[in-house]
Amino acid sequence: MANNQQISINDLSFTYRHDSKTVLHDISVSAPLNSIIGIIGNHNAGKTTLCRLLAGIIPNMMSGQLSGDIHIGNLSPTHDWSALNRQTGFVLQDPASQLSGLADTVADEIAFDLLNHGVAEAEIQRRVADVAAQLQLTAQLQQSPNSLSGGQLQRLAIATAIVTEPTLLILDNPTSEMDPQGRRAFFEWLRRIKNTTILLVSNEIDDLCEIADRLWLLADGELVSQGTPLEVINQLKSEWQIGTPKIYQLAKLMDWSLGADLFPVNINQLRGCLHDRDSN
Amino acid sequence: MEIRDNSIQRIAQMHWYNFVDPVTKLLLALFLTMLSFDFTNLYFEAGLVLFSLMLLLLSRLSSATINAVSFCLFLIATMVLIQGLFYSGNIHPLFSVMRITFYREGFLYALTMSARILIIIFAIGFFMSTTTVSENAKYLESIGMPYKLVYLLMSVCYILPQIQQNMKKIQFAERARGINPQKTVTQKVRSILPILIPLIIKTFDQSINRSITLQLRGFDSPSRTLATPKYRYFQTKLSHYLLTLVTILLIGWKLWQIISKFL
Amino acid sequence: MKENGIENKGNRFSMWKLHLSVATVTLIPAAVGINYVAKAFAEGLKLPLWLGSLGTYLASMLAGPTAGAISGFINNIIYGLTLSPVSTVYSITSIAIGIVVGVLFNRGWFTNAKRVFVSAILIALTSAIISTPLNVIFWGGQTGIPWGDALFAGMIGNHINIWIASFTDEFVLDILDKVVVAYIAFFIYRQLPQRMINYFKDNQ
Repeated sequence: MANNQQISINDLSFTYRHDSKTVLHDISVSAPLNSIIGIIGNHNAGKTTLCRLLAGIIPNMMSGQLSGDIHIGNLSPTHDWSALNRQTGFVLQDPASQLSGLADTVADEIAFDLLNHGVAEAEIQRRVADVAAQLQLTAQLQQSPNSLSGGQLQRLAIATAIVTEPTLLILDNPTSEMDPQGRRAFFEWLRRIKNTTILLVSNEIDDLCEIADRLWLLADGELVSQGTPLEVINQLKSEWQIGTPKIYQLAKLMDWSLGADLFPVNINQLRGCLHDRDSN
Repeated sequence: MEIRDNSIQRIAQMHWYNFVDPVTKLLLALFLTMLSFDFTNLYFEAGLVLFSLMLLLLSRLSSATINAVSFCLFLIATMVLIQGLFYSGNIHPLFSVMRITFYREGFLYALTMSARILIIIFAIGFFMSTTTVSENAKYLESIGMPYKLVYLLMSVCYILPQIQQNMKKIQFAERARGINPQKTVTQKVRSILPILIPLIIKTFDQSINRSITLQLRGFDSPSRTLATPKYRYFQTKLSHYLLTLVTILLIGWKLWQIISKFL
Repeated sequence: MKENGIENKGNRFSMWKLHLSVATVTLIPAAVGINYVAKAFAEGLKLPLWLGSLGTYLASMLAGPTAGAISGFINNIIYGLTLSPVSTVYSITSIAIGIVVGVLFNRGWFTNAKRVFVSAILIALTSAIISTPLNVIFWGGQTGIPWGDALFAGMIGNHINIWIASFTDEFVLDILDKVVVAYIAFFIYRQLPQRMINYFKDNQ
């Protein structure tokens, strides 16, 4: 049954109305609230569809055959979508479509959600300044959103999603247009966020292993593996075609194991592993 | 520093037309148009043309208005020609060239209609050149127009210049490929489909994404903070009521004129 | 029409909803944009047509007569405000076109080439009937298209009633334009991905 402190998905299957192919098959998984969950998988594995379901875009805006259910704490995208939506920030794959299309400045664009929710002007000013600083957009606040670069646009999309202080943050490949430096800054920033359940679709497996508490691995619409990054990466099958983190590759080459045939996937585990070896 | 500039503009930068709200300007255009329908005396029409032209000249004459006038001039010229020659009420010849007679009645009839068109162009030109999209959006929202409608109107205003720019690029690429050799209408129509279809699908996809985004971002929320108008306007309610009232009276009178002809 | 994916929106195929959905609100600017593009193409290729109602047709087909009517209305209002003020009054014609296309489409009159032709004639008739009085009031009966107006001048030169002459001028132009637009819209609609058609159906 639904646990108030968990995000849980039960027997979730979905087929779009325009398509005979089932996009998600019988997915059941859970994770504690306020954790960072990395969603990985190949092209067409169903990652974006899963995000749409979690945010309630399906079935509230797109229809199809849906079975099973989703609970995020005591919220549910299928039962009370507007309550869920007030608590959710969503970053779409294409940042340009995230924009309202009417804002003259970046500041107005970030303020859009807050105006919609009737937040007082002083509070709007404070929050806009705050998220702009977090995402390094302060210098761009007075510019037109149309003048931003791809990476800046993605940061603006993230800013619009977090300005409402959501408890659930769904990010569908939010770093695709960022340069390496911007990406590093993004993952550093993500690590500092507290009291928010974060679902992050990304191809950056190295970064994911550094920050994610859990990984969910989708292949052809099925959840083929889930657990901590350490568990998931160490149990990868070649047919899933998922890249491995560099640390894991290195550790495997050097045979630096954590014992029980597990190889480290992030820097802390690698340090721990080397430390253990030194002390032995 | 204010991050979001939504403070009321300072008086020093304001022109007289900033004291008139957008709805009053539109109602004024409608009122002038109706006046020109009700009183067809040519001197009166000329007075109205002058008045609306003065409004425009005392504010700002934009290139869009000049374009609109030049666009209509050709049509006005053909109208004067056709009516001067063939108007059903033609009796008194004005002049004859090579045995073709040009009549006074048709000429005056065409002049009246031309005056009306100029009045519409000038009055709407006054509205367009003295307001901005965001001023209009804020004002309409502040007087209670549902935000969905405001958004709809404004996004059309924003989309047209964007498309105009895209079109220039496409036309440039078209020209670079050489002149279309197609001759018949069917061939010409067929030749545009390969460009039109992807463009349409892309446009609709953007609408879908935008509609998802807007819903996720609380667009529909009843608790939205209403925008505050950009300027402090002069006597908005009074001018709305007054202009609406006289316009309705003018429409009523015109309808009565038409109906009484059949009685 | 086909299966119903969303239970709580039982009656969502009713045509006459005046409530605007968010999807319709974002579809209408797109339709207006398409009208504009199509019109620009027609001018660029020197076609004897306007094509400026293509987006209105597609909006009616995707989201129903109300959406089409509003697209047509706003199209002419904005066009009138920004480009040629007198086209504002033809918004009445555009509203009618949107409604007629939407109704015909929902009744299945856009399913094959033959039916599309019948639809196009009905649309052209509607358009001409509504535009004629406007032409007479504002332009003394002219349409502003040279060869149509030449016909008009010839007719009133032969003392044919101005209403008949103006209607003929308008209808001759309308029939060509509306037939071509109807076929283009019919053809494009069939090229649209099914997910797109479903999205606008679901979100009415």
